[in-house]
Amino acid sequence: MRPVVIAGVGMIPFERRDEDSLVDMLSMAGLEAMDDAGIGEHPIDAVYVGNMASGLFNRQVSVASSVVDRLNLMPAAADRVENGPASGGSAVKNGFLAVASGYCDAVLVIGGEKMREVIGPRATDVVACMTHPLAEYIYGVTLPGLAGMFAQLYMEKYGITREHLALVSIKNQDNGILNPNAHIHMKITMEGILTHPQSHINNPVVAEPLHLYDCCPVSDGAAAVLLTTEELAASLGKAAVEIAGVAQATDTHTLQERSDPTDLKAVTIASQKAFSMAGMEPGDIDVAELHDAFTILEIAESEHAGFFAKGEAASAIKAGETRIGGKLPINPSGGLKARGHPVGATGVAQIVELVWQLRGEAGERQVEGAANGFSLNFGGFGNNVLAFVLRRR
Amino acid sequence: MSTITAYKCTNCGQVMYPHHLRCLNCNEREFEEIEPEGKAKLLTYTIINELPWGIDERGRILGVVEFENGVRALGLIKADKVKLGMKLSASMEPVRVIGGEEVLGLTYS
Repeated sequence: MRPVVIAGVGMIPFERRDEDSLVDMLSMAGLEAMDDAGIGEHPIDAVYVGNMASGLFNRQVSVASSVVDRLNLMPAAADRVENGPASGGSAVKNGFLAVASGYCDAVLVIGGEKMREVIGPRATDVVACMTHPLAEYIYGVTLPGLAGMFAQLYMEKYGITREHLALVSIKNQDNGILNPNAHIHMKITMEGILTHPQSHINNPVVAEPLHLYDCCPVSDGAAAVLLTTEELAASLGKAAVEIAGVAQATDTHTLQERSDPTDLKAVTIASQKAFSMAGMEPGDIDVAELHDAFTILEIAESEHAGFFAKGEAASAIKAGETRIGGKLPINPSGGLKARGHPVGATGVAQIVELVWQLRGEAGERQVEGAANGFSLNFGGFGNNVLAFVLRRR
Repeated sequence: MSTITAYKCTNCGQVMYPHHLRCLNCNEREFEEIEPEGKAKLLTYTIINELPWGIDERGRILGVVEFENGVRALGLIKADKVKLGMKLSASMEPVRVIGGEEVLGLTYS
């Protein structure tokens, strides 16, 4: 395989975007990545669009064909990649393989979702369509519900408290304030979401033991990366960051069929393979973007990816090690909690943030001297996971 | 339908629900159809306030149980007090209306 460089990145602010269609958003983010790379008239060989549910949310399918039309990228190959909440990561992986194999020289990867076109309970139902139709969906289980059942077990096993979960939420919302592209720019406090007797008014239960501020918001948005060969990137003067490792692993569809439901095997395997491909270890990473759709997931993923031993992430969070300026900043972007989680956009947006961090372009939320970055895109409830290691060249 | 159908691998005895074409443990393809047996022990649960479109309620309790013959299944819990490890009895009842039709599923009380 030949090296794959991220020559350009683009992202439109995540928020509720009533004025923009899904294809508008995807195209705007894609164009930003093209302009960031300065690709000019150089042909783009292929476009991969990560999107989970345009048919259900927006009554539109074949959105990749629509995007190449909107951007006048014909006759580029165009595919939509659907892999639940890991759609964005899967699209980046496909783009990586296309360039690494020598089949393509320039590939545009865009992730996006427009979820706010439907009302809340409809969005909850669309997202729940990723659960097992017979063994899960019919009971009305939601993704927060699956996360709640996971959290009951993980918190009991490792002594994690609601205070630890709240610390993740507070940190990520603090980071989000520093990110102009984040959906949520609001400071929250321990008193407001946990310790005050009336905190439940601000922070009601969504799915026990998870409360509102343990869950990501429902957002619209899109993000994009332009992947090229190192030669092409060098000619554009944009060869700063390469994808050093990429790996994917799967696990059983349902949580109940895992012999130990607290063991996120796909996270462990994907992370280990990505580190091995990059010739790195967790200790080499300077900044990480993890899939905190729920606060408990940031804790569990940071342990399964190898940054902390099992049961030790909570104390690291309490000690401030995962804040910007700490030993291993996690989710300086604000994560899914504050940046938002337009489902298909997330895996791409994580990589966009890492590129900004490794180029030193992350503004007020810059992790000083960041050279190696890690991202984890968590699909289903841990049944399809992608891990990426990015390196500054 | 009085209960769910689970599957036991005829080669290694692995119990599975839902259905797979190859055993999760040994990859063999022959299964005996079995039913959940005995009391259901609650392994984990959640109380969901924000339910999907079409379920017009709050506070629905869902949990994963393990039956005495090893079948594990999610279901709707109909108990006032919920505690990990509690023993429950299973029934098959309407759990959701999908496309205008009542769908039966496991309930535990």
